Amino acid sequence: MTGPISADLALLVPELILVSVALALILAARRIQGSQIAVAATVLAALAAVLVSGFSLSSGPSTAFGGMLTRDSYSQFFKILIAASLALAALLSVRTVDGRQVPRGEYHALLLLASTGMMLAASTLDLLTLYLSLELMTLCAYILVGITVESPASNEAAIKYLLLGSFASALLLFGISLTYGFAGTTDFAAIASAFSGRGPGGQPLLLVAVGLVMAGLAFKIAAVPFHTWAPDAYQGASAPVAAFLAAGFKAAGLAALGRVCLIAFGSEAEILSLLLAGLAALSIVVGSVVALSQTDMKRMLAYSSIAHAGYALLGLCAGTPQGVQATMTYAFFYVFMTIGTFGVVIALGPRGETLQGYHGLAAQRPWTAALMMLFLLALTGIPPTSGFAAKFVVILRAVSAGFVPLAVLAVACSVVSAFLYLRVVVLMYMKEPKEPEPSRFPVAISAALVVSALVTVIGGLLPGSLTPWVKAP
Amino acid sequence: MSEYVGILVSFVMAGGVAAAMVLLASTLGKKNPTSVKLSPFECGVEPFSLPMGRLAIKFYLTAILFILFDVEMVFLYPLAVIYRTLGTLGLTEMAIFLGVLMVGYVYAWDNGALEWK
Repeated sequence: MTGPISADLALLVPELILVSVALALILAARRIQGSQIAVAATVLAALAAVLVSGFSLSSGPSTAFGGMLTRDSYSQFFKILIAASLALAALLSVRTVDGRQVPRGEYHALLLLASTGMMLAASTLDLLTLYLSLELMTLCAYILVGITVESPASNEAAIKYLLLGSFASALLLFGISLTYGFAGTTDFAAIASAFSGRGPGGQPLLLVAVGLVMAGLAFKIAAVPFHTWAPDAYQGASAPVAAFLAAGFKAAGLAALGRVCLIAFGSEAEILSLLLAGLAALSIVVGSVVALSQTDMKRMLAYSSIAHAGYALLGLCAGTPQGVQATMTYAFFYVFMTIGTFGVVIALGPRGETLQGYHGLAAQRPWTAALMMLFLLALTGIPPTSGFAAKFVVILRAVSAGFVPLAVLAVACSVVSAFLYLRVVVLMYMKEPKEPEPSRFPVAISAALVVSALVTVIGGLLPGSLTPWVKAP
Repeated sequence: MSEYVGILVSFVMAGGVAAAMVLLASTLGKKNPTSVKLSPFECGVEPFSLPMGRLAIKFYLTAILFILFDVEMVFLYPLAVIYRTLGTLGLTEMAIFLGVLMVGYVYAWDNGALEWK
């Protein structure tokens, strides 16, 4: 409690912006007619957070609140990414929120508060703050998944997500308490020195602690075998919420995982590598293969997001700063391509939610079909898109860390998923339209699609454009 | 780990004493059963009943609102104890905390959660 509080608060400016706008929206909730004002406020707050984080992107690391939070280029990178996914998700929600009688103020306030939790998760240096920030994020998510009250599927999804999520939180908390029992502290750096001070030798309970923390975090990014909530939650939630879950949540979970693996549990790198390699292999295989049999677009994209969590983990398997940087690159490009794909699904309305709806889209809407093809190529990882650049770096890191079979598996599953994604392209271009032409898209949705497409194209053409900002903690 | 042995011992002792009481009562005790004595009894509440009664959802709302003030109290008491040490800084922080909490209260009020209907 010493030192000027203003210096501490200066590190939290992006979060403070989001929280104050969220509180204002909650206060004004009953007086907001139409979603325009709420969307505008959310997008402006997110852009302000992007700008503020961007200004301090290359400043040196500094800590606040007794070393619990930090501001380094790692945290700022993820804050920009999270704020960007918040802005895109808010833009994509225009029609859903107006059409399905979702409470507008509350919906956007929850988006803002969830993003605040994610940002804190990216900048925390302490297991307890990490737990709190992840809880803030998931508690908002439970409500967001169930916010379309009149839809039974949405309610069911929210309940399932809540039950499994509470269980995962309990695992994480138990892992944290065991870690505290060993290290006597919850501070990342102090845990690392306490762990490495114990010297080599099997410590079964220590392994349990590490394993439980990893399980709790793997749940947040929906890595197999902690993925069971994702397909139901994505399918039951409205599509913009699913997009936000797939993009922002994954980014925040990976940010937390990266810091925990590299700093707190850095001395257990060998076990961590094996754990992460197992998670990655399972996620890639299960995600790619099970997605093949899905006919619901949101459910298919949920399995695709599970597979992508696996690819992102490939970088972390290496256990090196370069590996974490590869995961950061992956997370960045993945957020934009997945939001883009969900964006097309949202833009097409109810038609976009099943595979059937994509029959002959290219004849009716050539530009929309072209955008969808771009995002699907990116998700597959085909060269002129950012998806290739992203997959290339993580697989490269896995190979250089000696995980050659894992890398081969990842490439093989990319081929499997190519069938999955290109099937939609085939439906769009080679089939006769079955449904009437979709209505015009709202400007906000088009804007979000264009931004995602730009990042996906530029990331593919100039894969090195991110490198100056990608710095491991 | 040795400091946890005490906890283990207390668990074992508690379990042992409870088990011994039940065992002694059932072996040594005089038995004179009647149907009333044999029926399970717990503080006058029917121990088994079908879940027939429905509770109005407004009770849950009140319970949630209660938590709002409950949490407030949890933090206000420690503040009162070390108020002088914290000074203005502590007061400002508590004011901000209460402000955020009040936003929730105003929201509940705004949405008619305080009306008993």
